[in-house]
Amino acid sequence: MSWQGEVNRFLASAYKNWIISKRNIFTVFELFFWPMVSLLSIGLLTRFLAVEGSMVSFLLVGAIALTILQVAQIDVAYVLLFDMWSKSIKNTFIAPVRSYHLVFGALLFGILRGSVVFFILVAVSGYLFGFDFLAGGIFPVLAFLAGIFAMAASIGITVCISILTFGQKADVAAWSLSGLILLVSGIYYPVDVLPPLLQALARAIPLTYFLEYYRSIFIPGPHHLMWGAALASFYLISGLILLDRAIERARKTGILLRLSE
Amino acid sequence: MSGKVKQITEKSVQAAGICKKYKSFFGRSSTILENISLDIDAGEIFGLLGPNGSGKTTLISIFSTLIYPEAGSLSILGMDARRDRDAIRSRINISTAKPNFPWSLTVKENLRHYGMLYGLHGSALSRTVRDQMDAFELWEFEDHRFEDLSTGLKQRLSLAKAMLNRPRLIFLDEPTTGLDPDISMKTRQLIKRIHEEEGVSVVLSTHYMPEAEMLCDRIAFLRQGRIVALDTPQNLKRHLGLGERICITYQGKADLSVLQSLPGILGLKGENGRAEIEVDRGEESLDGIIKLFAEARITDIAIKEPDLEDVFIELAR
Repeated sequence: MSWQGEVNRFLASAYKNWIISKRNIFTVFELFFWPMVSLLSIGLLTRFLAVEGSMVSFLLVGAIALTILQVAQIDVAYVLLFDMWSKSIKNTFIAPVRSYHLVFGALLFGILRGSVVFFILVAVSGYLFGFDFLAGGIFPVLAFLAGIFAMAASIGITVCISILTFGQKADVAAWSLSGLILLVSGIYYPVDVLPPLLQALARAIPLTYFLEYYRSIFIPGPHHLMWGAALASFYLISGLILLDRAIERARKTGILLRLSE
Repeated sequence: MSGKVKQITEKSVQAAGICKKYKSFFGRSSTILENISLDIDAGEIFGLLGPNGSGKTTLISIFSTLIYPEAGSLSILGMDARRDRDAIRSRINISTAKPNFPWSLTVKENLRHYGMLYGLHGSALSRTVRDQMDAFELWEFEDHRFEDLSTGLKQRLSLAKAMLNRPRLIFLDEPTTGLDPDISMKTRQLIKRIHEEEGVSVVLSTHYMPEAEMLCDRIAFLRQGRIVALDTPQNLKRHLGLGERICITYQGKADLSVLQSLPGILGLKGENGRAEIEVDRGEESLDGIIKLFAEARITDIAIKEPDLEDVFIELAR
């Protein structure tokens, strides 16, 4: 197998997700409507509560992070969801592909869509609420986005594992897991306000550290970017190993066959 | 590598003691396949026959490495089904009953997508997609979305997809189910052509007897997860003692009970001026049978050879 062939195995998932997305009018809701609703409602809330400048950035960073996370993670989950909904999962898993081909191909498209959403949101939040996303230079932005995309990949992988383990009914996980992240990773409030048990959980979520890091530009304070990066890498690698195991298990239990019927 | 290629020329499938059980959430298990052992030669069209629920689709899914058996050893194209699964998957493909592909992708986009999954790229990918569109006469529908295709076109797309990686072994799971008779016939001719032109081995499951009879070199008959017969269609008919059937319609008197004393008579049914006589060899028995109708006037006579339909009915009992 040439390297171009190997690259195309990755690109196959991005190609499929791209075509399905461009033909689906409701993609507009995923890319524009919900992100704008989320951003505007938080932005307007800060005005109503007369929140001062740096706290506005704190909240807007949370809203932007959550939105990008949701867009990118659903793209990774779509790699199996589209196949499951169209009952074509058999055709994918009879081909010589591995979990990393599927995940990284879909993530590539998720990064593309997430980046589009990011630029729209920072443009709108800059215009309406005076948010300067480049206040700390380009590196913090790239590190922040990389952290969100790594987190999105881990959530998408978890959704795929759930589907392969529990079957079609597990697709609800695709929309639920980011809700858990919203609750515990300090999207709209510092994790210090959480009860001790949830604080411990927040410390196990990489997004917490990437949010702390990016917010430290607007509200100076300590951050643990490297720890977040290490955690994100650990989850991504573990997720891929577990996804491979889930695929092998689904071949043993026959769930791959049932998902195609 | 050369060792593997050499083995490819010998056997497509070598299965011994294959068992498959499905476990429910509460731990109850049901046996789907039990102790399946068979060899399929390279270049052969091998049929899997059996009533619904006999395990045909599960067996094809195991052979195509989509799912794994609980027990038994399996070698596909001379390679171990678990250890060499990636190498096997790049050399096999499948077309299923009720084919499904991503709905909103067009015919051409679906072929491109699956071509990419098989590692095709650049001009080779474009050429392969073009070749399959030519071979399966899909150009007219290249921009039609999968969800808008007729059942017959979906089947053609499925066969085209199954040929993308130029497989050495192709699995066709009930490829003509739900198709109109003329489309079924065209699909069978397509399968025959693929087999002859590409030299590809075919494992075909069906419950259409004419299909198995037309296409298959050998047939395994499955019932309740076990192979109950495995042979050529001709031998299956012979071994089951299914003779030819002579149907005589007559007017007047004929003592049919005498027929039972004649040699080579396997069975007899007679009522209301119609006799249906099952014989070992029709041509040899015909003369003696006709003589018994000397006092009657024969208005119609027909000799029917046994077909796989009869084998199916016999084995499914």
